[in-house]
Amino acid sequence: ILDDPDLKDIDPTVLKHCHAAAATCILEAGKQKADISAISTCLEDCKLDKERIEQFCTEYQHRELVTVVSFSIGRSPLHITDVSWRLEYQIKNSQLHKTYQPSYLVTLNVENSDSGSHPDVSFSCTMEQLQDLVGKLKDAAKSLERATQM
Amino acid sequence: MLLVLSAEHRAHLGCLPRAGGAAVGELGRLALEQLRRGAAPRACETAARKLNIGVDTIQHGVEGLVYLLTESSKLMISEVDFHDSIHVLGFSDELNKSLLQLYLDNRKEIRSILGELAPRLPSYHSLEWRLDVQLASRSLRQQIKPAVTMKLHLNQNEDQTAQVLQTDPATLLHLIQQLEQALGEMKMNHCRRIVRNMK
Repeated sequence: ILDDPDLKDIDPTVLKHCHAAAATCILEAGKQKADISAISTCLEDCKLDKERIEQFCTEYQHRELVTVVSFSIGRSPLHITDVSWRLEYQIKNSQLHKTYQPSYLVTLNVENSDSGSHPDVSFSCTMEQLQDLVGKLKDAAKSLERATQM
Repeated sequence: MLLVLSAEHRAHLGCLPRAGGAAVGELGRLALEQLRRGAAPRACETAARKLNIGVDTIQHGVEGLVYLLTESSKLMISEVDFHDSIHVLGFSDELNKSLLQLYLDNRKEIRSILGELAPRLPSYHSLEWRLDVQLASRSLRQQIKPAVTMKLHLNQNEDQTAQVLQTDPATLLHLIQQLEQALGEMKMNHCRRIVRNMK
C-alpha cells in the first residue's frame, strides 16, 4: 500500500495504522463469524459514516480466503500426509541364513505444523500385524461414517 | 554345504575324545547355556573339577562346541553335511553321533536366538485411535474440523515407544486404500511364485 499512487498523499504512518486496523477488524470479525449487522453496529460505534460502512461490508463478503487461512492456523500433533510401503522377502542376514521371511516396511509421511518438516515414521511389520493395523484404521473410518450420519 | 573348521577350532574340540562320553554331555550342556545366557566361568570351573580336566581345556572345549553349533545352525546344514564336516576331526562314531544329536535337538532354539541378533527396524506393536472434532481455536471460533488422533506403539530393541499422530478423514481413507493394496500384493502370483521357489 505504500507504493499505491492513489495513496501517496497520505502520511505513511497513518496509512500503516489504517491498514493494520482494517486487517485486525477483518480477522476478528472472521474469527467470531460476525454477520453484516454486527459489523455495521461495531463500525457505527467507531463513528464511520454509512457509505464507508457499506463499502467495508461489501469487501468483507469476499472473506472466504481469510477463513481458510484462519482454519489452518493452530497447533496439532504431527499430521500424517501420506504413506508408502515396501514388501520384502528376507533370504539371509549376517547372523542367520535361510531365513525366508516376508515383511513389510511402512513409512508414514508426516508434517509438523510448526517447522514444516519432520523425520518420517518408519516401521516394519509382518502380514498379520499389517492386517491388524488396517483393521483398526477401518474401525476408525467406520466410526467417522457413523458420526456423520448422526 | 560343508563346514570348514580352522586348526585352532580343531585343537579346541580335540579335548572331547579324551574327556569321555559323560563329559561330552556336560560340555554340550555348558555350550547351550553359554548360548542362552552368556559365558559362565564358574560353571566351567565346577565341570573341570568334576571331570578332572583343566579349566582352560574345558573352556576351549565349550567354546569350540558353541562355534560348531552356531555355524551349523546358521547355515542350516543337513545331517549328512554335519557328519562329513566333523569327520575330519577323526572322532569315534559314538562321539560323532552324540554331536549330531546335540546339533539336531537344539538347532531350532539356536536359530531363534541368532534371529534376535539380526539388525532390526522399529517394528509395529499396536495402534490406538480416537475421533476428535475441533470446535474452536485461538484464530477461529465455531469450527467443525474432524480429525483422527492415533497413538502408534512401536518396539525398538526391547524399548516400546509411542508416537502421537493425527490425520484428517480424507487422508485416513487414502491410508486404508494404500495399505490394503500392500496386503493384496502378498496374494499376487508373483509373490506366491517367489515364496514357493525359495524354500
